[in-house]
Amino acid sequence: MAATPPHMDATLPRVETTPVGLPGWLGTVIWFARKKPLGTAGALVVVVMVVGAVFSNVLAPYNPLDTNYAAMLQAPSASHWLGTDTFGRDILSRIIYGSRTALFVGLGASILGSTIGAVIGVASAYFGGWVDLMVQRLIDIVMSFPIIVLALAVVSILGSGITNLILAIAIPFMPRIARVVRASALAIRETPYVDAARAMGFSHARIIVRHMLPNVVAPYLIMLTAFLGQAILLEASLSFLGLGVTEPTPAWGLMLRGAAVEFAERAPWMGIFPGLAISAAVFGFNLFGDSLRDVLDPKLRTS
Amino acid sequence: MKSRMITGFTRSAAAVSAGLLVLALVMAPAAMAAEQPKAGGILTFAVAAEPPGYDLHQETSFAALHPVAPHYSLLIKFNQWKYPEIEGDVAESWDVSKDGLTYTFKIRKGIKFHDGSVLTAKDVKATYDKIIFPPEGVRSARKASYAMVKSVEAPDDQTVVFHLKWPAASFLANLASPWNPIYKADILAKDPHWYEKHINGTGPFVFVEHVKGSHWVGKKNENYFMKGRPYLDGFRAIFIRDTSARVASVRGGRALIEFRGFSPAARDDLVRALGPQITVQESPWLCVLTVALNTQKKPFDDERVRRALSLAIDRWGGSAHLSQISILKAVGGIMRPGYDAYAATEEELVQLPGFSKNIDASRKEARKLLKEAGYPNGFAFTFKNRDVKEPYEIMGVWLIDQWRQIGVTANHVVQETAAFSKDRKSGNFEATMDWACDFMDEPDLQLFKYVSSSKSPIDYSKYDNPKLDELYEKQSRTTDPKARRKIVREFEKIVLTEAYTFPTIWWQKINPHWTKVHGWHQLPSHYLNQDLRDVWLGA
Amino acid sequence: MQRYIIKRFLLMIPTLLGVAVLVFVLMRVVPGDIVELRYTLEGTAVSDELLAQERARLGLDKPVVEQFATWMWGIVRFDFGKSMWTDNPVKDEIALRLQLSLQVAIMATIFATLLSIPLGILAALKQDTWVDYAIRVFSIAGLAMPSFWLGILIILGLLIFFRWLPPMFYTPFWVNPWENMSQLIWPALAVGYRYSAVATRMTRSSMLEVLREDYVRTARAKGLWENMVIVRHAMKNAILPVITVLGLEFAFLVGGLVVTEQVFNLNGLGMLFVESVARRDYTMTQALVVLVGFTFILVNFAIDIMYAWFDPRIRYG
Repeated sequence: MAATPPHMDATLPRVETTPVGLPGWLGTVIWFARKKPLGTAGALVVVVMVVGAVFSNVLAPYNPLDTNYAAMLQAPSASHWLGTDTFGRDILSRIIYGSRTALFVGLGASILGSTIGAVIGVASAYFGGWVDLMVQRLIDIVMSFPIIVLALAVVSILGSGITNLILAIAIPFMPRIARVVRASALAIRETPYVDAARAMGFSHARIIVRHMLPNVVAPYLIMLTAFLGQAILLEASLSFLGLGVTEPTPAWGLMLRGAAVEFAERAPWMGIFPGLAISAAVFGFNLFGDSLRDVLDPKLRTS
Repeated sequence: MKSRMITGFTRSAAAVSAGLLVLALVMAPAAMAAEQPKAGGILTFAVAAEPPGYDLHQETSFAALHPVAPHYSLLIKFNQWKYPEIEGDVAESWDVSKDGLTYTFKIRKGIKFHDGSVLTAKDVKATYDKIIFPPEGVRSARKASYAMVKSVEAPDDQTVVFHLKWPAASFLANLASPWNPIYKADILAKDPHWYEKHINGTGPFVFVEHVKGSHWVGKKNENYFMKGRPYLDGFRAIFIRDTSARVASVRGGRALIEFRGFSPAARDDLVRALGPQITVQESPWLCVLTVALNTQKKPFDDERVRRALSLAIDRWGGSAHLSQISILKAVGGIMRPGYDAYAATEEELVQLPGFSKNIDASRKEARKLLKEAGYPNGFAFTFKNRDVKEPYEIMGVWLIDQWRQIGVTANHVVQETAAFSKDRKSGNFEATMDWACDFMDEPDLQLFKYVSSSKSPIDYSKYDNPKLDELYEKQSRTTDPKARRKIVREFEKIVLTEAYTFPTIWWQKINPHWTKVHGWHQLPSHYLNQDLRDVWLGA
Repeated sequence: MQRYIIKRFLLMIPTLLGVAVLVFVLMRVVPGDIVELRYTLEGTAVSDELLAQERARLGLDKPVVEQFATWMWGIVRFDFGKSMWTDNPVKDEIALRLQLSLQVAIMATIFATLLSIPLGILAALKQDTWVDYAIRVFSIAGLAMPSFWLGILIILGLLIFFRWLPPMFYTPFWVNPWENMSQLIWPALAVGYRYSAVATRMTRSSMLEVLREDYVRTARAKGLWENMVIVRHAMKNAILPVITVLGLEFAFLVGGLVVTEQVFNLNGLGMLFVESVARRDYTMTQALVVLVGFTFILVNFAIDIMYAWFDPRIRYG
């Protein structure tokens, strides 16, 4: 249950739990790995994904956009480890580059949605009264729309493309996190710190940013990590429906659309690998996120 | 002696031959019986979408046609075994006056509507009045095809006469349109909108039920005017929106056939899974994907740039690859390849810009044209497409690749169909995917797409050329096929040289179905031959 | 308590109104024209005059405010209008699909509950053992897999290994229970597995919290039989958040199963939703959104009341 690793806790008698001489962060990592094996497995998946995304052009054996009709629909082989698709494009390369899209959209949407949502939640709690009532109603209204409808509306109005996709996915997150953050913020509003700050004449913005926001970091992080996995899944669903990223961009959800289903028997590798990639990524983020939360603030254990 | 032996031999030979002959005569009907249509059975087929309304005079989607057509008869129709020959349906015979301005039809006696009343020429006249001269508030989707009709008359119960303003080569074929079911005059007089929500026809099947979102059922019309038909006891149409679910339904035997078309991958899966239980009918489809360039936006106001884009496309080579992963296959100009009467032959085709088999030479010329027009290093533009994978997105990805070969960068903007349709109609695009599907091979129909934008609502390129309009009118009124063909070729050459809208590749109609389904012969259009009159189920 | 109920009830009205306005505005801002889609999509040449005629018939040429007023006036009298695509009353179109969607939602929820509560309790009791890990992995896998991918795998599996396909069209349960179940069991399983993931985690964490509470420790100290402790004391209090989660998810199950319905070819509300939005069928989409929104708001309301009942602090807060 301890929040600080034993070898860094100065109040405890020195016990040799890690080899002497290792830098502190490595020790922390090993401590984490021992304590939370599932979380570590998740973290490994995330690291692989990030490395794949950053070093795509080094790691991918082919250009994901290169068509090669002579080699279409080939099974996994020495020259194409995961096979090729209907245009003869290498699936392994498309999966590696696809992690870029997934991370970009996933991180972008969850950070954007969580941050804006958190600010709304805190502001609503802080100002109270009419403002709070109005914001609460707005939250209810937006939350009553199924996510697909919202996404469809955003994409139809603004057009397709990555930035609009990020917005379309971020919007459903905002009311959900606003609600949770608001609950935490309400508790803080009544504390002596905020009263004192108001008495001292600090501006609203300053109070919100300096006193209230830091105290809602915990629920913020919780929801952020929860949203990461969901954002990746949403991107896959929207691309599958044709509303997300479009050809010929490599993206996992897009790879499952159309041809993968059509050729599912003749060329199952087209549908299996992107599906596995999505599942692995979301899996990893969820496991890692859970364990991270446990370690950062045990009071908020939800896993 | 010798003669007696020979006689003996001859006699036994004769006996044996006679025996064999008798045997053959006995066996032959048995052998042929395997081919004879059997009565009975229910045909279940899959349809990709549901009819929004039942009045075929105002609908334009195959989804309306497939379940509704079996309930109605036409005046004349295409003979499914001898396409494009025409045979009478409600009409017994007809004749055309020498000047081509009067068409007289003799109507069969004894045809009954499903409610029991008798069909007369009055009903045919009322039907065509509704199509050609619709009353206020009544929508007729193909009114424009009948602009040459002056009037329709029914001088007696079994005769209908059409008077034309000018001789039209396509008139008879237009009357065979599957979109012209014969309705009852009395009902139309009382309420011209009645047929939008109800069914009452003279066709081989009577309406039973339509469960929205699910299925449609029809049963045999016991009083059908053709004795012995229909063979089937009834039919059931199931609405299955998802493509893979549709293929799966045929594979699992829950549907025996799907009348529109499957992809080559689906065909291969079905053949592999079901072997001899599946029969595949394939032929070029009367549908084509085209590219429309907005001639009011730079650089597409320059015909050299436009032609360069068409020259860059390797149609012959692409067909070989695309036909394996999609329904795109046949290479043809503005008329369907396979329609020998008016489509360009291969020798004629390879002379036209963009259709040469030497793609390197074409691309070299394309680059030269671009340089002349002032774009030596190519340029970039947006290419709008709808969000349906087969075959639109597939063609889009391929086209972009082709244009890359001459240094032109196209940005693929895939839009939701509604937004795409709006942009295409309003001209809010630089280049866009486009397509054309018709119900019959007929220059009047296929050429209409390339006529000036001010005259044709389906020419989106904002291009006007009075010469083309003139040629169109001329070929429409030329009844001599040879002369007409010459004009069509001239038209085609101008279209492909100006390249404001140009065809890419024609579709392939692939209909795999259970072998036990007989009596349906695939025609080039999925709008034709859907009355199911001749269909029967074997073992 | 009564004042609280009335207050929360009254607050439902502006929310519902907001949903109605928002969907109306959204539909009109999104580009696209149902009339064009209906007639020109397959490449036929249809005259502009016919299109204009249709638009007038559907009332699309009237000023926006008037359209809104007409629609709202209809809603107040429970008349949701006619679908712009088929001309049939919206009520009929929805009622047809509601049966199926409700059944799938109920079956999925039952499956999710049967799976998640025992698993969650087990995981909580055996915390940090391999049993716990296995259950957590199993439930997170349900969250991680794209539902449409799972659906595709299920159908393919049935086809390839069993050479069998579920029925393609809907038979109500009372007409033919066997046909009905053999069609709907698969999507219910695919969807239920996913929702059980959320509920399992909730059950587990909720149980963990409750197991640490003083009164449970006291009960244990008193030497009460372990099972009685769990069943009587822990579960009762742990169940509340789980019901919340299941309830909220159910509200979305009814209209939100868009991709699953597509993969399994179910004639449900999700499919109707996507189709009417794609066709820009204003009346239908608006009606569906208002209905789903109303369901969600109602479920929220019920949950709020339930919480207030159990936790007096909320009523007076």
